[in-house]
Amino acid sequence: MTEGNISTLPLAGIRVIDVATVVAAPYCATILGEFGADVLKVEHPVGGDALRRFGTPTQRGDTLTWLSESRNKRSVTLNLQHPDGAQLFKELIARADVLCENFRPGTLEKWGLGWDVLRQINPGLVMLRVTGYGQTGPYRDRPGFARIAHAVGGIAYLAGMPKGTPVTPGSTTLGDYLTGLYGCIGVLMALRYREKTGRGQFIDAALYESVFRCSDELVPAYAMYGTVRERHGPHHNDFACPHGHFPTKDGKWVAISCATDKLFARLAQAMGRPELASSSIYGEQKVRLEHYQDVNEIVRDWCGSLTRAEVLARCHATATPAAPLNDIADIFGDRQVHARRNLVAIDLDDTGETIIVPNVIPKLSETPGAIKHLGPRLGEHTDEVLRDVLGMTDEQIADLHTRRVI
Amino acid sequence: MAKASRSAKPVDQEAIGANVVSGMPDTQGEPDHEQDRLPEQDRLPLSGVRVIDVGNFLAGPYAASILGEFGAEILKVEHPIGGDPMRRFGTPTKRHDATLAWLSEARNRKSVTIDLRQKEGVSLFLKLVARSDVLIENFRPGTMEEWGLGWAELSAANPALVMLRVSGYGQTGPYRRRSGFAHIAHAFGGLSYLAGFPGETPVLPGTAPLGDYMASLYGAIGILIALRHAEQTGRGQVIDVAIYEAVFRLLDEIAGAYGLFGKIREREGAGSFIAVPHGHFRTRDNKWVAIACTTDKMFERLAEAMERPELAAPELYGDQRKRLAARDVVNQMTIDWVGSLTRDEVMARCLEKEVPIGKLNSIADIFEDEHFRARGNLTHVDVEGIGEVVVPGVAPTLSETPGRITNLGPPLGNATYEVLRELLDISAEEIKQLRSRKII
Repeated sequence: MTEGNISTLPLAGIRVIDVATVVAAPYCATILGEFGADVLKVEHPVGGDALRRFGTPTQRGDTLTWLSESRNKRSVTLNLQHPDGAQLFKELIARADVLCENFRPGTLEKWGLGWDVLRQINPGLVMLRVTGYGQTGPYRDRPGFARIAHAVGGIAYLAGMPKGTPVTPGSTTLGDYLTGLYGCIGVLMALRYREKTGRGQFIDAALYESVFRCSDELVPAYAMYGTVRERHGPHHNDFACPHGHFPTKDGKWVAISCATDKLFARLAQAMGRPELASSSIYGEQKVRLEHYQDVNEIVRDWCGSLTRAEVLARCHATATPAAPLNDIADIFGDRQVHARRNLVAIDLDDTGETIIVPNVIPKLSETPGAIKHLGPRLGEHTDEVLRDVLGMTDEQIADLHTRRVI
Repeated sequence: MAKASRSAKPVDQEAIGANVVSGMPDTQGEPDHEQDRLPEQDRLPLSGVRVIDVGNFLAGPYAASILGEFGAEILKVEHPIGGDPMRRFGTPTKRHDATLAWLSEARNRKSVTIDLRQKEGVSLFLKLVARSDVLIENFRPGTMEEWGLGWAELSAANPALVMLRVSGYGQTGPYRRRSGFAHIAHAFGGLSYLAGFPGETPVLPGTAPLGDYMASLYGAIGILIALRHAEQTGRGQVIDVAIYEAVFRLLDEIAGAYGLFGKIREREGAGSFIAVPHGHFRTRDNKWVAIACTTDKMFERLAEAMERPELAAPELYGDQRKRLAARDVVNQMTIDWVGSLTRDEVMARCLEKEVPIGKLNSIADIFEDEHFRARGNLTHVDVEGIGEVVVPGVAPTLSETPGRITNLGPPLGNATYEVLRELLDISAEEIKQLRSRKII
């Protein structure tokens, strides 16, 4: 367990049912759980959440992403396609505050568990619905994953060398996480509204919309001037120069960003060529943008003449914004990462494997979040939840097991 | 959370250049007339919450944009000369104090000018803090303290204050004083290293300010959690968001895989280590599609769309592990098939079989797309002195209390007088003096 005290956390007393799969909607529940909510991960009795098999497996069988992102959740198996399973689900809903789901539109409705049914059971329910394209619109029934959302939302088109093959924008799951964040904001606002009015609601989050929303001036610039932004490669010199990635003598890379003239003056100083920042040479952003290739070449030559450590030391000495392009080994060795406690090591009690996961963010001073445990084994908490939350007897639970309802 | 000390009436939204908005989503749940009978302060989840946004650019301020979309009153506190540098960043418009990025992302705000480098500006600011619920800032750590606006002073002015502090590296640790922008945070947080082809130049991960948005989303979550705590206990707190942390947190299993197996993830070009085929493919008409066969079932559908169902047999490529082992072969078959058809043909065949596929949309494609239109993702706003501006609509979509855009980025100082007069009860004469002494 890291930091924080679960019982006094700001979301203590909130019960979340996470019946979703993979990362997008579940990540919303993950954050709520870090800040004190009781998260019940409802999974199919056979195999459970597909995230358990997505990515690199551990000795326990579950994958690393499952272990990390199902932190603090309790696993409850329930077959929603079985009428008795659907009934139990309704009973859980009656005792819950939030439901996170990401089935294709119409699936829950098919099982008799649509919004209209659930809101009757619990008028204050807050329901997060995540899909590739949203609950409405002509593409609503299409299957969607984050990679598709990156493409549809416009970010994949922008990553890569000019005119070259568009590449993955760093990570294939970005859109899932972004949507989890938007979903979580929606849930927290809806909870607040419910507390004022007693009324629940649902949040309709589309993966592609989360990606699209983070597009700075892409939309107004096309509408007003017809500007179609293209792939920029390692440098984005529409608004600032230098602003990009530069190789160093030891075959590594640094990012340098001079958004203002003042920052360029600092870089010029770091390069030992303060005259470059005079107004008659490259002191003004406008001039640097006009001659971006020349400016980039000067910076590239300088970076290429030094090791990464040397470039960074000189940039930091003059407060120039610069950083290494860290790989994960660099990150594990970095003193800022350690000082901020961004990594947490947790031992699995069954296999003894040490799993390192990213710590809770954001950091709250008064009520910091906490990791109690990593992703549970499938059905690890079924019996205790049915007993404690629904008040069922051991016989009833045994019967449900026999009939494979749970 | 009305406080006795503060004016019950929010400063008038309409008076200050509110814009006419159309194209809002037609995607909400059934119309609900009960909503209209609720008192004004209860209609949106954040009605009655007052937020001061004293940040620059996007990292942090975007959290205020979201809160404003859902009913909070946002006071953008800016330096009297020039204001937020975001006003000059990006593509200019006819209005000298507003670029397009400013107009879009400074939505739903009122601009109040105060010079925090002057003593009287600081005391004015503290009065404003006393009448607000949330403060958002993103100066370099230590800057607000230098002005006499550290947490001690702010929480003395308002013990229930929720303060979001966004910075490149966070408020603590050895790099805290370093300046950080999203571009720097993408690099430091491990995302930039992963974008591009193996062994080749790492490229920008799509857009330059991505990390600013991510940090702001975490900030908004922190604020909403802390507001809840403040309302229950009367105690405010500080939310400390480092942009690089937001970036790093989203990298799925990268930390776990290095920790357990020493695996260093490298650039993966257009693909991913996690599944095959899972990438970007060029069509015959020189356009691009994304295909993601995350599971065996999805690959089976693709094989059917390709009219080669035998490929999905277990002894061939039906099993993800076999596809990962034969990555180049499977990718090449997909490249060949997609390359033999136009984008429309590939899309039609894949959609018929429910293969996860999407166009790699440029912004021009997006404007033509019927789904974006149906979801109300493009919002048209008439801005005085500029004309029509199109911006991304509100996300996420709430069924009962959908967010809305009341106005785009305000003119510098458009609400200074009203806020000082009505909220802080400063006389017109005094305001005039403050103005002539360049404190506001």
